[in-house]
Amino acid sequence: MDYQSMLSLALPFGVAFAAIGSGYGLGRAVGSAMEAIGRQPEAAGKIQTAMIIGAALIEALTIYALVVFFILQGKIG
Amino acid sequence: MLLCYAHIMATAAAKIAPSLLMLAAGGGGHEAEVAEHGGGHEGPPHLPNLVGLITGGHGWAYEWVNIIFAFAIALFFIIIATRVCAKRQMIPGPFQNAIEMLVEGMYNFLYSILGKEAKRYTPYLGTLFFYILLMNFMGIIPFGHSPSTSINITASLAICTFLYAQYTGVRRLGIVGYFDHLAGQPRSAVMWVLVPIMLPMHIIGELAKPLSLALRLFGNITGEDVLVAAFVGLGVAALAFTGSPVGLPFNVPFILLGLLLSTIQALVFTLLSTIYILMMLPHAEEHH
Repeated sequence: MDYQSMLSLALPFGVAFAAIGSGYGLGRAVGSAMEAIGRQPEAAGKIQTAMIIGAALIEALTIYALVVFFILQGKIG
Repeated sequence: MLLCYAHIMATAAAKIAPSLLMLAAGGGGHEAEVAEHGGGHEGPPHLPNLVGLITGGHGWAYEWVNIIFAFAIALFFIIIATRVCAKRQMIPGPFQNAIEMLVEGMYNFLYSILGKEAKRYTPYLGTLFFYILLMNFMGIIPFGHSPSTSINITASLAICTFLYAQYTGVRRLGIVGYFDHLAGQPRSAVMWVLVPIMLPMHIIGELAKPLSLALRLFGNITGEDVLVAAFVGLGVAALAFTGSPVGLPFNVPFILLGLLLSTIQALVFTLLSTIYILMMLPHAEEHH
């Protein structure tokens, strides 16, 4: 197998695995935040801000995989 | 006053961008800039933009398309800010009222995080938010192009935030306090032993912040624009057998998703910049 077919197989899988991981992480984070808001609706603003920061940090990991995809995409040819 | 300062920051951000264009390796190079009508083999699909149509996809103006759009947005902010500042009134007109509403909303949001320090940092962070928001929206406007799909632009913004956070640290903590902060504030013998580990860790952490800021914004907005362009291509391909010049509007739901993503990413960039500045302020625990 030449490196081009390997890349074209590996790159989508890389993004997919990263998306699975951060999807699981985001689900847990947002789920817990929703529970916390349900328990304490008056703290909704603060919880939301912290949740968005956490979500951004989790989701950045998928974005790194996507950036690698964009960088290596030109090599597939 | 606030807005006058704000537009200076906007131009500063846009002015740093061109010099970084030369420094960046890979990413927003020439191979990704080929004008494709939603398909092709060279790089991800792109929608045509105004500068590309005028120049025909060649020449220096097309190579600098990101800078041109970034400057256009900065110019837009400068015009608005100077017009508001020139005709300031105690009883605001509708135009001034709208701008004040935006600035005040930003201030109240930052006040909930920074507390009393918010007034000092609202000009920079507020400008950052609206500048990035408009840059992200440019990709959704027909014949527009998001400057934030170029890693050079996002990197320049992230470096601005990095330098501003370090400057804040040195200014507010003092040189000694700044290195004390980087060394993990050693107060006991155990902490002093750990300094050779903590210092490199904190320095790497500080350097990783602008990197993650830049890559997050770049990846999200590029992904969103490529998604919209790919579905435009799909819509055109679906009607290709009829020879129709327009395609099915498959991209409309993704434009709505793009509106949401653009706002969230602008907010996240601003929020994380706020947190990085907050971490450099003295006695962050006194607000709690």
